[in-house]
Amino acid sequence: MLEARHLTKRYGTTTALEALTLTVSPGEVFCLLGANGAGKTTTINLFLNFVDPSEGQALVNGVDVTRAPLESKRHLAYIPETVMLYRNLTGLENLEYFAALAGSTDLSRGSLLKVLERVGLPADAADRRVGGYSKGMRQKVGIAIAVAKGARALLLDEPTSGLDPKASNEFSELLRQVSGDGVAVLMATHDLFRAKESGTRVGIMKRGRLVALHGTDEFSHADLERLYLEHMHD
Amino acid sequence: MLARIIRHEWQMLKADAVLWVIVAIVGSAIAYGVWNGTRWVHFQEGAIEAARSEERVRFDRLTAQLEKVAAGERVSPFADPRSPSNLGSRLAAKVAVLPPAPLGALTVGQSDLLPSYVRVSTESREAVLASTEVESPLRLLTGRFDLAFVVVYLVPLLVLALAYSMVSGEKEQGTLSMVLAQPVSLGTLVAAKVVVRAAALLVIIVGLGLGTLLMTGVSLADAATRERLLWWVASVAAYMGLWFAIALVGVSLGRGSAATATLLAGLWLLLVVIVPSALTLGVQQLYPVPSRVALVQATRVASDEANAQGARLLAAYYEDHPELATGDAEQAMTDFNVVRLAVNDDIEKRVRPVVAQFDEQLSSQQALVERFRVLSPALVVYEALSDLSGSGQQRHRHFVSQVSGFHDEWRRFFTQKVVAKTPVADLSSLPTFTYSEEPSSALRARMMATLATLLVPAVLLGGLAFIRLRRYAIAG
Amino acid sequence: MIGTIARKELTELSRDGRFRLLAAVILVLAVASTAAGWLQFTAVSRQHAEAQRETREQWLGQQEKNPHSAAHYGVYAFKPASHLSIVDTGLDPYLGVAVWLEAHRQSEMKFRPAQDRTAIQRFGELNGAEVLLVLVPLFILLVTFPVFAGEREQGTLRQLMSLGVAPRLLVAGKALGTLAAVALVIVPVSALAAVAMAWASADSYLAADVSRTVALGATCLVYFLVVTGVGLAVSAWAPSSRVALVTLLGFWFATSLVAPRIATDVAGSLHPTPNAAEFQRALDADLSDPEEARQRLARLQAETLTKYNVTSLDALPVAFSGLSLQSGEDHGNEVFDRHFGRLHDQFSNQARVYQWAGLASPLLAARSLSMALAGTDFEQHRHFAKAAEAYRRDIQRTLNDDIARNQRAGQPYLAGTELWSRVPDFTYDAPSIGWVLGRQATALTVLAGWLTLAGALALLATRRLSATLG
Repeated sequence: MLEARHLTKRYGTTTALEALTLTVSPGEVFCLLGANGAGKTTTINLFLNFVDPSEGQALVNGVDVTRAPLESKRHLAYIPETVMLYRNLTGLENLEYFAALAGSTDLSRGSLLKVLERVGLPADAADRRVGGYSKGMRQKVGIAIAVAKGARALLLDEPTSGLDPKASNEFSELLRQVSGDGVAVLMATHDLFRAKESGTRVGIMKRGRLVALHGTDEFSHADLERLYLEHMHD
Repeated sequence: MLARIIRHEWQMLKADAVLWVIVAIVGSAIAYGVWNGTRWVHFQEGAIEAARSEERVRFDRLTAQLEKVAAGERVSPFADPRSPSNLGSRLAAKVAVLPPAPLGALTVGQSDLLPSYVRVSTESREAVLASTEVESPLRLLTGRFDLAFVVVYLVPLLVLALAYSMVSGEKEQGTLSMVLAQPVSLGTLVAAKVVVRAAALLVIIVGLGLGTLLMTGVSLADAATRERLLWWVASVAAYMGLWFAIALVGVSLGRGSAATATLLAGLWLLLVVIVPSALTLGVQQLYPVPSRVALVQATRVASDEANAQGARLLAAYYEDHPELATGDAEQAMTDFNVVRLAVNDDIEKRVRPVVAQFDEQLSSQQALVERFRVLSPALVVYEALSDLSGSGQQRHRHFVSQVSGFHDEWRRFFTQKVVAKTPVADLSSLPTFTYSEEPSSALRARMMATLATLLVPAVLLGGLAFIRLRRYAIAG
Repeated sequence: MIGTIARKELTELSRDGRFRLLAAVILVLAVASTAAGWLQFTAVSRQHAEAQRETREQWLGQQEKNPHSAAHYGVYAFKPASHLSIVDTGLDPYLGVAVWLEAHRQSEMKFRPAQDRTAIQRFGELNGAEVLLVLVPLFILLVTFPVFAGEREQGTLRQLMSLGVAPRLLVAGKALGTLAAVALVIVPVSALAAVAMAWASADSYLAADVSRTVALGATCLVYFLVVTGVGLAVSAWAPSSRVALVTLLGFWFATSLVAPRIATDVAGSLHPTPNAAEFQRALDADLSDPEEARQRLARLQAETLTKYNVTSLDALPVAFSGLSLQSGEDHGNEVFDRHFGRLHDQFSNQARVYQWAGLASPLLAARSLSMALAGTDFEQHRHFAKAAEAYRRDIQRTLNDDIARNQRAGQPYLAGTELWSRVPDFTYDAPSIGWVLGRQATALTVLAGWLTLAGALALLATRRLSATLG
């Protein structure tokens, strides 16, 4: 579903991402680990076509994102560190707008409310302006947008950083549900525990290169941490 | 899709305090501007009426005197109401009026500086045209708060205020990447934003402007007035369009909101304040108009010389105008009035080259201004708005040329009578002046040129901005 | 400490490309406008001096004629340009430059230079004062808006305050840094303008202008301080640099472009002037009332006969025509004083309202002072017009007295060069700076008030600074 082929991004002389080749299949949750500046966000931005690749291709559902940026985004959903919404609109209105932009046809209040309910947004919150939402609620609306859109691939950029443990846990739960529906998930994160919990595979990045690639069932949480720290040392 | 985004943008704009602040500012500015312009038109009408009533009173008195003289009363030759010399130079002088145009209240323009009526007599054309209205010099210096001021200065600022953070604002609040993660291009998004903002602003300005104008009692019965109003709306829309294009170029550079705002404010300052005043400075340096003091002195010298050779001039005058010679030269020679005519004629001949110098420099300046006007859209639209209100240079020049024609006719009429010593018996036989408006085709041509001057750069800049937007840095 | 903060501000500014560009633009405009002002001044003063000399020669060169003919021939008075009009042309373009001084008539000064210009002049003239009072303040505002708001966004403000810097010192240092940046632009231009003025004054006028120049400089400085204070206060108060910028741009637009227009409108409504036709009609009605003339002549005749103790005008030792001419002049003068006095009083009142409007916009107070110090305001125009009119009345009295003394009934009387040269040449002394400032008391007070207010605002800003860190 998500595929990177020799994906490379250079800014001047610095290489943000070097020859990344990667495939994330439906139902898979791929966690990108790495220090700040390792190239995780760049990878996500390349899949979103927010930045142009210097070399290589990013494919969504077999479509090259630079060739068909709009077509590729029909299948994508994006959840940044904090889902930013229009403060003056309610959660429902935000969802309706984004779903409409995504090309969804069923924009009835009932079905949108059902989506919000499914992602666990408190019922009374749907008609409140998002200006007063907590971060956890915003992330839920983010997932709701993905669900309403029927996205086949999900790009997450440190979605749980700054969430309290309960919200973080709920989020992971949602993620598992979504991926259980056959969505391919690519998540950049610092959270080794979450990666082990909800990921199916992890990749460790360092200075723009993917230096290790493992299934999460290969080792325990402690092993993963050791492996990560080993790679962080030179 | 575009429609959906437009609906959303309108919702957002509605919820934003900025729009309502703008509505309040524009609303009061427009109302004040139109009211102020209307007051000025009333003042002009009052002045014209005063001048006309002075003329009426003078003519009534003249008629009464003529009757008395006909009944045998004796009068001094300097006050003789039958003498064509007295009538032509003072007693029967006629007021030539440039009435305020129907849309005069929209732009005060040059009408507070250039006279809207003159008293035509046999005096020199320069003396006839030199009249001025009594007006506070402070106000002349400052300029008036009319609708044109609102359009020329304020509207671009409002356009920039609505547009500068269209994209950077969403980027700073983080929603931009959320939106662009959907199958929507930045171009579509920006187009929708521009459409909503431009439509809102245009509706506010045109709606409030026309609404206030109609409340002041302007009649739309006349087709020419309606056409002018349409041109007014078109010019304002084109001006706004150009400013949206300029704002878009600023937006497309991808800087932060504060930086974009600074840049756009700088551009506004450059185009609306600095370029026009620098151009004024430039044309004055390139084609300096000499001080009128030079003209005063030239006239003085000429009249000294002409007076000194009064008698000789008369002979020369008859050589130039043999048709006026009566043959009774002996008597004519002694005729004070004929000598005066000849002297005045000579003075004008001597002064003409100096006057021509003024006109020449001024028209060179005007030509230069017209060539470089494109440098500032503010100049282009200001000229167009004054033109539409009939308070610009074109209409006044048209008036002056008609007055010149009338002045010539007036002089010919009285010169013949003075020389032939025919007394005037019937005041209704005097030449009369009515201003005839320019044909609307001339206006139409100028307006087309104006629209082209505004729209061509608007389209070019807008296109450039959309091309640049494709490379807009959405992330980072 | 203050010095360190100011130096840091200046260093930062001088590394900012936008600042350098803006400074360069203002510098170029200031130099260009001063140069243009200088050219204009030298041309006008040469033309006017020459014309004044010529008009005198023409007066003296008159042939033998009756003095009253000479009175109708008249002379012209030309308004001299003041040296500081190089910097501020003020109202000069909209006021006449020459007045004809003839028998029976006080004339309004004629030939407004503005009528010989293209319509785009209405966008404002680019002169030194425009640059100093309109563009430089905008420059100051653009420099000050991020001073606190920007530092707050960067987070450096918390850093600074955590170091224990007193807010008052911080504000003072930043103000000093801003003014130093302005000085970088202003000082070279001022030096240039001073040289231009020294050059233009080959004669002794410079001495009189030094105090005016210094006062003008002080006015600008005070105005800059006011603007800096407002800028710093808004920057400290605003939640973000974006808000600070928009607020300050709004302040500039309202005070520099809107306020002057509204102020002159209000002044015009409070102190309206008649239109030219009405003014003329009222003047003519009072001037040539035939009944009044008949009574006045009869009275004069009776009084004169009593005074010389004779029974008929022919027996008078003086020519009655001279007396009656002067009586007409006296009557006219009284009418002129009333009508022109009323009109000019209205203009003066309007200018006073403009000064008061400085309460709403400090620019108006500064502008009023700048025009007054440059000698291009209405009061000094009126001062000149009065001097010219007084000269006209002197001429008339001299000539009429001569007629009364020398004219003999039934004989033509011709005077010559001796009489013409008895009329002194017209000289005009511009009023002293004390006279000028006395008429600007309102503007001075208002500007001082603004300075206090700006200082208070900046102080309040310091309190707010510590309060908004959380």
